[in-house]
Amino acid sequence: MNLMMPTRREFTAGLGSIIVSFSLDPKLAFAQQAAKLPGSLAENRMLDAWIRVNADGSATIFPGKVELGQGITTALTQIAAEELDLPLARVRVLTTDTTRSPNEGFTSGSQSIEYGGTALRFAGAEVRAILLDLAAKRLGVAADTLTVADGTVASADGGKVGYGELAAAVDLHREVTANIAPKPPATHKIVGKSISRFDIPKKVTGGVAYVQDMRLPGMVHGRIVRPPRPGSKLDSVDEATVRAMPGVIAVVRDGSFLGIVAEREEQAIKARQALIKSGTAFRCEHISRLVLLALQPPERPQLIAEDRMGAGSALLHSADVQGRRFEIDLIPA
Amino acid sequence: MAIQLKVNGKTWAVTAEPDTPLLYVLRNDLQLNGAKFGCGLSQCGACTVLVDGRATRSCVTPIGRLGESEVTTIEGLGTIENPHPLQRAFMDEQAAQCGYCINGMIMTAKELLDRNPKPSEAEVRDGLDANLCRCGTHGRIIRAVLKAAELAGRI
Repeated sequence: MNLMMPTRREFTAGLGSIIVSFSLDPKLAFAQQAAKLPGSLAENRMLDAWIRVNADGSATIFPGKVELGQGITTALTQIAAEELDLPLARVRVLTTDTTRSPNEGFTSGSQSIEYGGTALRFAGAEVRAILLDLAAKRLGVAADTLTVADGTVASADGGKVGYGELAAAVDLHREVTANIAPKPPATHKIVGKSISRFDIPKKVTGGVAYVQDMRLPGMVHGRIVRPPRPGSKLDSVDEATVRAMPGVIAVVRDGSFLGIVAEREEQAIKARQALIKSGTAFRCEHISRLVLLALQPPERPQLIAEDRMGAGSALLHSADVQGRRFEIDLIPA
Repeated sequence: MAIQLKVNGKTWAVTAEPDTPLLYVLRNDLQLNGAKFGCGLSQCGACTVLVDGRATRSCVTPIGRLGESEVTTIEGLGTIENPHPLQRAFMDEQAAQCGYCINGMIMTAKELLDRNPKPSEAEVRDGLDANLCRCGTHGRIIRAVLKAAELAGRI
């Protein structure tokens, strides 16, 4: 989505004090692409980006949306298992990994099932069809006479072949066609069932469940000294004071970014506090642009202020705008 | 300097200043994931552990003040295979959304149930009042604590 949308900075920079309308509907961003595929397949078109069938006949799925406790690991597994005709226990999930997972953009707005689920549903149906086609050739029968149970394809005359064996002869590095219709909901056996979430047991027993639980060899700790308000410029830092503190490895300056690295977490916290107290100065010449959108339904959103904080605040208090709803753009560019 | 700590029935020696908050020692030195950094200001409860049975905010508890005290973390209650009744009940009731607060909910409830094995719903609400959950899982959390009391009563 980022590739197609202007950044917030570009977006705001292109505006004067004029009426604008804009939509966050991601569908619009891709409207110009040919052969639009459903859900997140639109941007991640290769079948093997989503599903791998393993030699033991199990499957691994690669969602590009992250588990935030909304339960998508469980739900997406249900969707894939349903379409692949595999039991839940034989579908594994690779937690989102930037080196492997399809890029599904943000995980927000209750879109994970809508987009990622749709992608896995179509991809699952297609993988199953590809495996069944090959099974039909191997078993010498028509594909639509085959049945699948627990990853084993069976013909009416007793012939059998497993997903693992079939997968070894198939290259899933191909574009999804999305021409294979997923199962109709009335036939679902796994989707629609209330399944206990896979992520909860670790979360109630101290298991590894959050990014904070990652510990890397030789890991050190950092803290950031944040400016008092947006638009601030870093003026001066008394680095010498903190460099002498126990455990401090580095004071990191990059433009107006100021950070501290220390051997232990509490040392980084203390050094950060010392940096703030020892005369670190930020200069606030201006405030980053504040975008206020006054929503005046049924009219389109109207940009009524794009100005420095002073003007924005004054605007908020003016009689003209009181009683209306405001949305302030809090997402950094 | 080296400081000795008793955590989950074992004695540990860590090299850290006495004013180091217990939370960082639990997470970074002992590699225990259960207690979470939420606010670092004793406001949210995500870092709660038991110190001599009392629910305690580890983010503001200096290790130098623990002395001979026994620290219990959620890892010390039970495991996935052999969960404490509270952990069992939180799994049964699916009482977590993001789950970040749940350590504190369970550890605070542990002290509550130790003091009052058959709490009313109002007592559970009151007991967990100072533990924040931003997802809004409160209904399930309260049900889970009441269920844990029931499960513990049967053992």
